[in-house]
This record gives sequence, C-alpha cells and structure tokens, in this order.
Amino acid sequence: MDDADIIVGIDLGTTFSLVAYADESGPHIIRDENGDGRLPSVVAIEPAEDDAPPRITVGWKARQHAVENPRSTIYSIKRLMGRGPADIERERAYLAYQVRPGPRDTIQVELPGGAYTPEEISAFVLQALRERAERHLGRPVRKAVITVPAYFDDAQRQATRVAGQAAGLEVVRIVNEPTAAALAYGIGLREQLAAESATGKQVAAGRVGLSLAGPGRQRQPVDFGAAHTVAVYDLGGGTFDISTLRIEQGVFQVLSTAGDTHLGGDDFDRAIVTLVQREVQEQLGLSIDSPAARQALRNLAENVKIQLSTQPQSRIELDLGQGRTYSRTIRREEFEGLIADLVERTLRLCAQALRDANLAPADIDRVILVGGSTRIPLVRRRVAEYFGREPYTALNPDEVVALGAAVQAAVLSGRHPEMLLLDVTPLSLGIETMGGAVAKLILRNTTIPCRATEMFTTFVDGQTAIKLHVVQGERELAADCRSLGEFELRDLPPMPGGIPKVEVEFLLDANGILNVSARELRSGRQASVQITPHHGLTRAEIERITRESIQFARSDIEAHRRIDLLNQVDFDIRKTRQTLERFGHLLTPQERQEIEREMVALREFADQAQDLDELYRRLTAFGHRTRRLAEIAIREALIAPDDQPPSPSAT
Amino acid sequence: MDSPLFCEGCGRLYPAEGYNYFDLFGLPPRYDLDTATLRQKYLETSRAIHPDHHGQRPEAALMSLRASARLNEAYRVLADPMLRAEYLLELFGGSSAAQDRSVGPDVLTQTLALREELEEARQMQLETRLADLRCQIETLCEQTESAVQELARRLPGDETLRRQLRQQLNALRYYQKLRENL
Repeated sequence: MDDADIIVGIDLGTTFSLVAYADESGPHIIRDENGDGRLPSVVAIEPAEDDAPPRITVGWKARQHAVENPRSTIYSIKRLMGRGPADIERERAYLAYQVRPGPRDTIQVELPGGAYTPEEISAFVLQALRERAERHLGRPVRKAVITVPAYFDDAQRQATRVAGQAAGLEVVRIVNEPTAAALAYGIGLREQLAAESATGKQVAAGRVGLSLAGPGRQRQPVDFGAAHTVAVYDLGGGTFDISTLRIEQGVFQVLSTAGDTHLGGDDFDRAIVTLVQREVQEQLGLSIDSPAARQALRNLAENVKIQLSTQPQSRIELDLGQGRTYSRTIRREEFEGLIADLVERTLRLCAQALRDANLAPADIDRVILVGGSTRIPLVRRRVAEYFGREPYTALNPDEVVALGAAVQAAVLSGRHPEMLLLDVTPLSLGIETMGGAVAKLILRNTTIPCRATEMFTTFVDGQTAIKLHVVQGERELAADCRSLGEFELRDLPPMPGGIPKVEVEFLLDANGILNVSARELRSGRQASVQITPHHGLTRAEIERITRESIQFARSDIEAHRRIDLLNQVDFDIRKTRQTLERFGHLLTPQERQEIEREMVALREFADQAQDLDELYRRLTAFGHRTRRLAEIAIREALIAPDDQPPSPSAT
Repeated sequence: MDSPLFCEGCGRLYPAEGYNYFDLFGLPPRYDLDTATLRQKYLETSRAIHPDHHGQRPEAALMSLRASARLNEAYRVLADPMLRAEYLLELFGGSSAAQDRSVGPDVLTQTLALREELEEARQMQLETRLADLRCQIETLCEQTESAVQELARRLPGDETLRRQLRQQLNALRYYQKLRENL
C-alpha cells in the first residue's frame, strides 16, 4: 500500500484522545508502550533557557505534573476550540491556566513563554498521536479522519481542521462522534454475526477489538442487514451529543442530532470542586482557589467521581497545613443530587432529537452509550428509564469513537464501497435580513451534503458588491445566533440598481463546513466571494501556525522511544528538584537525602541505559519513591494564596 | 428505470443538472409512489455517488458533492407527502406559494377565530377546552392533507384543479402553524 493511502482515525477528546487504524482485519486502537490507548489531552509548555524552543510535554506526564505547573499545563482545550471570550465566561473560573481575548473574537492561552491559540495546543496532542501511529505502522502518516461533537458549529469544525493541519495532517474528513460510534457499533455487529454463523455459537469478543455482549445478554433479532433505529447517547468529558440513526443495508443515516458543547464530565467534577471549596470556606475560613488549588481539586474531584461509579461512597481528605484538615465522606446519592440537573438536561436534548426525527422513545431499537461519563450509574439509570430499555453497553465507551473514525477512514480510502455514512447539519443556517432578523436557508437536521440558493440584487446604480452576513443557530435574531462571518460578493458587472440577478449558492459539504459561491445570471459572470470571519483565524494566521508547528519525521522506533524516555527522565528530575527546593524543608532529612540519591541514580542509569524496558521500570519506581513529596506539593498548593508558594529559600 | 446520475457498469458520475427530482430516482412523476422503493433507490444511489466514494479526483469530488446535495434534497421532498404534492404541482406548471397566496373562503376567519380561542383558553387555563381545540386543529390538518392528496393524485389536471390544490396547500400552512403553537 502507498503511504498516501494511510488514513488514521482520531478521537480528539476533551479529556483523552485516541488514534486507531483499520486494516484488513478491522479497526484497532493504536496503544502506547504500556498498552494504554488513551492519551490524556493535556499539554505542558515550559519556556526553555536562552533561545531554545519551549519544552513541550503531552499526555500522562503533563497530566501528572499539572499541580506543580498549574499555569503552564493546558487541559480541556477542546472546550475553547473555535470559541470567543464571551462563550467561555463561565468556564474561566475553573481554569488553572490563563486565557485572554485574541483578535477577531478568538481566545489565546497565555503561558509563561508566550501565547498559544487553542488550535496550536490541540495540534500538540494530534502530533503526539500521529507519532504514535507512525511508530506503530512504521511509515509516515499524513492523513486523518478527526471526530468532533455532532453539535460543533462551523467555527469549531474549522478550528479542528486547522489543528490537524498544524500537526502535519491533512484532515480528509471531520466526522461527528456519535456517528463514528454508530459505525463502530455496526461493524462490531457484523463481525459478531459473521463469527456466530461461522461457529454456530456466540463469541465473547470480535476480532475488531470490540468487546461484545456475553451469552444471553441483549439478544435481539438485529443485524447489519436488518434495518433498525439506534440512538447514540454520547456524554464525554466536555460535550454531550445525542443522535438518532437508521442503519439499513450498510447505510448509516443520521436522522437527527442535538447536544450541548459545554456539558460533560468536567461539569460533574466542578460540582464536587464547588462543594469542597464552599465547605472549606465555611469550616476553616480558607479560600482555596489559586491556580494550583484548582488543578489539585480537579484531580481530586475526578477521582471521587470515578470511585462513586463503582462504590457507594468515597472519602475526601485534605491536609491544609497547620493542623487544619478537611475531611468528609460523600455518598453516591449525594453526588447524584449534585449532578441531577445536568443529567436531566441531557434527557431534554434526547427528547428534542426524537421530536426532530419524528420518533418516540419506543421506536428506538438500541441505545448505545458512548463517552466515559456514561459509566456513572445515575446516567445509565435515567437513560434506561427515558428510553424504556436497557442501554447497549457491550462497547468500550472510551474507544468506540476512535474505532469508528478508523472505519470511516477505511471507507474514504475506498475499501468499503458497501458502506456509507449520511450525516446531518446540527444547526440551521441563515442570513441576516433587514432589521437583524434571520432568514433560514438550511434547516437543522438536514442531510449533508446539502445546498440552498438565494437570489439577491443591488440597490444603487453601478453597485458591484453585495455583503451578506451568514449565521448559524435556531434563534430569530441574528445577534443571538453564531456568526460565520461577512461574505462579500465582488466583481459584479455594473448595472442599474435592482437589475442584477445574483444567485448565491450555499453548499454544506460532508464535513458540515460551508462553501459559498455566487454568479450574476444576466451576465453569467462568477462573482468572487471574500470571507471576513467574525470569528476564528485568518488564512495568514493558519499558515503561520502550520509553518511554525514543529514537525518531526522520526522513523526509528527504538530511537524515538529512547528520546521519549530520556525526556521524561529530564522532566521528572527537573520537577522533583524544583519541588524539593520549595518544599524540601517539610520532609525529614533522611527523606530528602533518599530523594537526592534516587535522582542521581536515575540520572546515571539513564545516561548509559541500554535496556529501555529497565529504564521505564526505574522511571516508574522513581515516581513511587517521590510520591510523598508530590503529596506535600499538592497540600501546599491547596493552601497557597497564589501559585507562588512561600519560598523558604528566599528567607 | 435507473438513476441518471451514475453509470452502473463503470461507476462514472454524471451531472445532476436538468433532471427533476423524480428522474433522479428513475421514478415517473406521479403523486403515488412506493416509499420503500423510493428509499431503496435513495440508499443505492447515495452509495454510488456520495463524495465519500469519490474523494480521490478533485473534479469528481465537486460533481459528487453537488449531485449528493441534490439527491438529498430530492429525497427529503419526495419522502414527505405534502412536500411531494407541492413539488409536483410546480412541476406541472402550478403556481408556487410565493406566486399565489390565496386560500379558500373561510380559512382565514377560521384560523383567526381558533387562534383567539386558543389564547383565551390558555390564559384561563381551561384544560378541557384546550384539549378540544387541539383535537379540532388536528382534524383540520388531517382533512386538508386528505384533500391535498386527493387533488395531487389527479395532477396534471386543468387550471382549476391546480388552483384548488394551491389553495389547499396554502390552507395547510395556516393549520400547521396553529398546530406548532399548541
């Protein structure tokens, strides 16, 4: 196969990102050295000394050290993609890193070493995934299918495409996450049926790496061939989508979609963070809201939430120094009370999606759960109650979207002529008319690609340009919708006012991205369309980002792993040294010496390491031995008024 | 009849311009159609012409994008009985809703009266009255839909028939708006 034919599928998530590839045997997740498919969507960017390029760490390492580097560790960047300052007002209070308004209603992340756009931050995550795929496949990867929440608007989709470009990837298709999940579900179903008919019995797991329902569970007369209707309930780290689909003869047709791009697991964590902050304030009179504290509380809340999915209660203990402690037990029912409103909001969106598709809950043959947040028992219970049936839980909710993206990548490279995805546009598209009202041209839930044409004319004699303001959304007034920008039709032939007949074509492509063209019918002349986005990056900015993005082309897998591990060793030792300087006085002298010794030993071993597996083990062991120091750092972070903790070395 | 959009033998695409919605599915321009057949043709043709299967060559990609967009619109219209009647009426030379907004003699007064009654019942929270009105509006919609169907089956017909169909379709819009308000 030609390298140009390799298209990987990428799930660029709020919390985790994954990359998958489909070969002849089916789609599979590409995992890291430790067998984990997930890459935390966390990026740490630290300025280097002198003029050296900044040090960039992506994934687990960046996540582990987030508390020590609150201002230079970026997480949940997906929530900022394609958004403006006004959109994220509510968000800001929960971010440990700083954001500032950029040009044209964009946001920039402000880091100690400079400002970055959300597209650039996402590109670092995509690049790490790309490298992972290249190591696995042993050849360069230049093309990808990237998934986005179905409810993403034009600006958010464009931003995702730019991020891909900046990571050296041609984004051949933007696919909606729930749709990708349905695709993986369909393939899994087909594999299951094929295996069953071949062996005459049910299989526990398909070759596609999808773990399928065990014997006797959820058996229904449904297969790839028999038409059926499914609902995909996708509750991820930051976004919620519900899509209904008809699966018939290999065609996956989305009937409707609804969602909220700011509703997900992050919000459940925040409910816990807010509770803890309030109680600490009430009980101890302490305000724990520094960037580092936000980061530490986030981690804590996430752990509590995950525990409560499997246990009836979880214990929170915070050592706030000077004998002040905060501790309490949080029971599952209490947590459910905190998030009940958010869960009900998802069900109202389910009702809207069903209404738009002219379906009743009972018309749904299967409810597929996607996204880590669907592990929460309350979510499962309420979804089951709403649809009147137990959801289908045989798929791994973390991996199904990436697997589906890989399937779509295989379709796009021509390997599955029997399959087709027909998606819809989540938002209505319209133009602003006199008085600021919106004239809708394409209604939400219209199958894409789709097209609308509209006739315009001029007002004054000799007028050669017409301006259109294009918006996306359901509201009556343009000001309440999302602006896609001004489209200026230029080079019209000069004629008396009202005479030109300008036909404007609005074409939504299969990515859900708008293309506008215009023609003056009397002269047959094509008008040029100049777009001034009200939002987002200009072409020059996109080019700059793409140019500046560091592109590695590493082929030697061993060499690459060595570089990665050595970087991690550097990073860990540097972090530990910094932490030791700040908080070493809180350890016993023996503990301090022990850590010093460990640092030297690790350094020495790393400098002449031949056995990379052994180096990896030592690195992990080093992490365990410095755990107490890390705990102290977290505690201090919680009580420090700012992210500059009291420095004993200064006194 | 087959779709004119692609060659079944070699998979080559042809532009969609110049064909009406019925042509795209290889169906005769008639109100009565078998929805299962329409759907079958839609799925087959979509699979054959969709940009996902024609992304390799740029000129094919654009043609496939336009053809797909047109096919999707055609399916949306033909699959919906009322939109189908509307489309067929214009295909046979009837006026569009923009050209002729007239309705039958009692439609406007009736709609206004119903709207007022609805408002009143809502304000005074007369639940049984509301349910009754809801029922009336549903019945009106259904009756008008049957009238549309009845007339559309007789298309192309004469000028009078087409005018009657236009007016029934216009009336249906008023009733549908009322129903949306419920």
